[in-house]
Amino acid sequence: MPTLNPRVAIFGNRVPSLNLPELEHFTDLGSLLAADAFDVVLLDMPAAYAGKVLRKLRSLPPYRYTLIYCCRDQDGWCEALGDGACPVETGEIKRLWGVWQERFGLFSHGSAPERFESRVLSWLWLRDGAQVVALRDPEVPQHYRYPLLDALADSEQVNAFVWLSLMVQQDWLEEGVLIDRVRLCSDCGSGRLNYIDVCTECQSMDIARQPSLHCFTCGHVGAQESFLKDGVLLCPNCLNRLRHIGSDYDRPMENYRCRSCQAFFVDAEVQARCLDCGLSHTPDKLRIREVRDFRLSEAGRFRCRQEFSEKSAQHFGKLNLLGGKDFYDLLTWQMQIVRRHPVPEFSLIGLRFVNLAGTLSHLGEQRGHAFIDSVADRLKESVRETDRCSRSTEEFFWIMLPHTDEKGLDIVKQRLGRIAELFSAPEVSDITLRVISITAPQDLLDQEDGELLLARMAGELGDTP
Amino acid sequence: MSPFLEQLLDALSALAGPDGMSRLFYMLFPAFLMFELPMMIMVMLGVLRWFTRRRTSVPKISVYRPKVSCIITCYSEGMDVQTTLLSLCEQTYDGHIEMIPVVDGATVNQATLSAVRSFNVDPQLYPKRHLRPIAKWQRGGRVSSLNAGLSLAGGEIVMALDGDTSFDNNMVASIVRHFEDPAVPAVAGSLRVRNVWGSWVTAMQALEYLLSIHMSKIGLAEWNLVNNVSGAFGAFRRSFLVKIGGWNTHTAEDLDLTLRIKSYFKRHDLRIPFEPEAVGHTDAPATLSQFLMQRLRWDGDLFFLYIRKHNRNISPHLLGWRTFLMILLTGFFFQLVLPFVIFIYTLLALFILPGKTLLFLFALIYVLYLTITLLMFIAMLVMVSDRPRQDMVLGLLVPFFPLFMLLLRCWSVVAMLNEIFRRGHEESSMAPWWVLKRATRF
Repeated sequence: MPTLNPRVAIFGNRVPSLNLPELEHFTDLGSLLAADAFDVVLLDMPAAYAGKVLRKLRSLPPYRYTLIYCCRDQDGWCEALGDGACPVETGEIKRLWGVWQERFGLFSHGSAPERFESRVLSWLWLRDGAQVVALRDPEVPQHYRYPLLDALADSEQVNAFVWLSLMVQQDWLEEGVLIDRVRLCSDCGSGRLNYIDVCTECQSMDIARQPSLHCFTCGHVGAQESFLKDGVLLCPNCLNRLRHIGSDYDRPMENYRCRSCQAFFVDAEVQARCLDCGLSHTPDKLRIREVRDFRLSEAGRFRCRQEFSEKSAQHFGKLNLLGGKDFYDLLTWQMQIVRRHPVPEFSLIGLRFVNLAGTLSHLGEQRGHAFIDSVADRLKESVRETDRCSRSTEEFFWIMLPHTDEKGLDIVKQRLGRIAELFSAPEVSDITLRVISITAPQDLLDQEDGELLLARMAGELGDTP
Repeated sequence: MSPFLEQLLDALSALAGPDGMSRLFYMLFPAFLMFELPMMIMVMLGVLRWFTRRRTSVPKISVYRPKVSCIITCYSEGMDVQTTLLSLCEQTYDGHIEMIPVVDGATVNQATLSAVRSFNVDPQLYPKRHLRPIAKWQRGGRVSSLNAGLSLAGGEIVMALDGDTSFDNNMVASIVRHFEDPAVPAVAGSLRVRNVWGSWVTAMQALEYLLSIHMSKIGLAEWNLVNNVSGAFGAFRRSFLVKIGGWNTHTAEDLDLTLRIKSYFKRHDLRIPFEPEAVGHTDAPATLSQFLMQRLRWDGDLFFLYIRKHNRNISPHLLGWRTFLMILLTGFFFQLVLPFVIFIYTLLALFILPGKTLLFLFALIYVLYLTITLLMFIAMLVMVSDRPRQDMVLGLLVPFFPLFMLLLRCWSVVAMLNEIFRRGHEESSMAPWWVLKRATRF
C-alpha cells in the first residue's frame, strides 16, 4: 500500500508551521481514538500531559508502533515512549515515515509479533537508534522503571530487570549507557533502605560519639570529661598532668560508646534496614543492580530482519539455516561426540562478508536481493545435504561439515573460494570475503563449547588482515 | 703617641707586673658588682616574689571567657602547621577560639597552604574552635600577615603565633585570665625549644631559653619590666592593638610593638605581665650557622630599634622613670655597650697579658659565671620549671653555658657592626624587598 503522504493527526493545539493536507486536529483523546488509526501523531501539549497520553497510546494496539512526536518540551516519559521532537520540516516527517513504513510493511506481511519479546524488539527495530530507556520514578520501590516495557507488556507480568538481562544473555539486546547503580533489599527487592550505624557488639542503635583521651604515661583511656579538672587535663588514673597533645596524650581511635552495652569502639557497624519489609542486612548483602539503557544488538536487528522479512527468509532458506541457539547446541553436541570418539572428525567453516550490509543498502532493495540470491546459489553448490549452516549476524555465515577431515575441508574451501569471484563487479567491490576453518578435535581448546568456539573464530575473522 | 693611649699602655703594663693579678681582680670585681649583680638580684627577687605569691594565692574562679583570635603566621612550615592548629583545638579554654592561619606567599608555599586546607576541625569534638584561613598569594612578610589577620580577627583577645610553634593545652586559659584586668594591653608567653636534642646548638638554646628568657622574664615581669613580647608567641587586647595601629613594617616587629605599648606607660597605668604557664614549643635553629644568622638579625635589630627608630620615644616622659631606666640599663648598656666592652677587653687581654695570667683570669671569670649559672639553674628547677624531670637533663650543659654566652656576646658585636655600617635590618628575611623598600627609612 504505497501511500504518498502519511495521515497525520495533531492532538492538542494546531502547529502553524506544518501544512500537511492530511493534517487532522483533535482536542480530546476519545475522538482521536474513535477515528481510524493515523500514521503519524503529533502531540502539542506540555511534557507532563504528553507523557500520560503517550502511555495510553502505546498500550493500545493501533498506536503501539506508530510514529508519535512531541511538539513541545519533553520529560523522561516522552523520551522513553515517543519518537522525539517534532521535525520542523514537513518533508522530514514524510521521509521518516517512509523509512518506518518500509520496515513496518515487512513485518505486517510476516507473522504479527505475538509475544512480548517480539513486540519490544520490533518496536526498537522500527526506529533507528531507539532505546529501552530507564526512567527514575520515586513511586517504584526499585527507583527505576522502563516505561516502554510497561506499555508493551499488556496484561503480561514482566519483571523488567530479569527480562532485560535475559535478552542481553541471548544477545538480542546490548547494554547502553550505565545510568545508576542501585542497592536493593535481598528479600523483597525494594530500594527504599535506611542506613543506620549500630554497636559492633550488641547491634544496638543507641550509640553516641564520645570525645576521649589516651594518657601516654599509664595508657588510661577515658572520656574527656573525666580528665578535665579546673581547666587542666589530669589523668584520673595516674594523676599525671597532660599538657601537650602528641607528647603527653592523644585521642584514641575508639570514638563511639554504646549506651546499652557500654562497648567502646572505633567505627560503628552499618546496617541497611529495608523500609518496606523491615529486614536488616549488612550493606554487602544487598543486591546490587546496574540500571542501564538498552538498545537492539546486531544479532537482534538480524533476527528482526529474518523474522519479519519473508524475502530474506526465501533467499537463505535454500540453505536450511538454523537459528543461533539451535546451531550452538548442535555444534556443542558434535564437539562432545568428537571429544569422546576422535574419529570421524568434523570441520567448521566461518565466512565473513565484510561490508555486506553497507553494500546492500547502497544497492537498494531490488538489486541487493538479486545479489544475495547469487551468493546463496554459490553457497548451495558448496554445501552438502548433510552440512548445517547458520548466520549469527548479517555478515557472519557458519557451515558445519560432519565427517570431514582436513583433506575434505580443503576441497570445500576451494569451492567456496569461487564465491569471491562474485565480488569482482565494481558496485560490490567493497565486499571482501574472509574465511576461517577448523577441524575437530585437533583444533579445539579445552573446556570450549559451541558458543565459545564461534566467538573465538568470529574474533579471528574480525581482525583486520 | 697620644697621651690617652700612653696612659692605657701604662695601666696595662702595670697589670703585667708581679702583683698584676690582684690588681686585675680588684679592677674587674667592682665592675661585676656594679652591673651584673644588681640585675641578677633583681631578677632573682622577682622570681622569689612570684614563687611565693603563686604558692600562697587562692585559686580564683572567673567567668571571663572572651573570644580569642589566634593569628598564625605561616610561610614554609608545611605539615608543622597542622600540629600548631591541633594544639590550639586541644586547648582546655572554655570560650571560643578563632584560628586564623595566614599563609604568606601562598603561590610559592603550596605545601603549607594544602596543609592548612586539609586540616579539618571536627565540630563535634571541638565545638568552640573555628578555622578561618587566609591565603595571601603575594608575599608581604610577617607584619603584613599579622595585620591581615588582625583585620579579620573577631575576638576580644588577639594572639600572634608562629606557624612552627605548638602550645600546651592550658595556654589560652592561662593567658586570658590576665586580660580581665583592663590595665593589661598585652601578655607575654613563654617559649621552649621543641627540638632540644636535635644538635648541641639546639640543646644550648634550650638551656638559654629557660635561664635567660623564661626565668628573667618571670623576674622582670614582677616589677613590670618585661623587655619584649615575643613575636612567636604574644597576646594582645584587640581594641588596644587596633588603636595603636597594629604592627609596623621593618624587622623586629615584636620589640617595636612592645616599645610602642610601653610609650603609654607614663600616661596610663598599664602593665605587661608574663605568663610562665603559657608554654609554646618552637623549633630552634639546628646548625651553628643558622643559629648565628638568627642572632645576627636579633641583635642587629636591637641596635636599629633603640638607636635608629625609637631614639626619641625612649624618654621618661613617655615610658615613666622605671621603664626608662630599665631600658637604659638592659637595652642600651647590657645589649648594646657591654658586648663591645667584653669583646675589646678579651681581645686586649689576649694580646697583652702573659699566658699564665690570662689563663688564671679566664678561669676566674669562668668560675664566677659558672657559679651564677648553677645557682640560676637550681633556682629554675626548684621554683620555675613546669617540667623539672625533663629539664634536669639540661644540667649536663651548665658547664658549657658560660662559654656559649661569651660566644653570643662576641657575636652580637658582629651583629651590631653589621647594622651600623651595612644597615643589616634592610636585608631582613622577615619581609620581601618590595615591602621594605617602601617603609620609612630610619
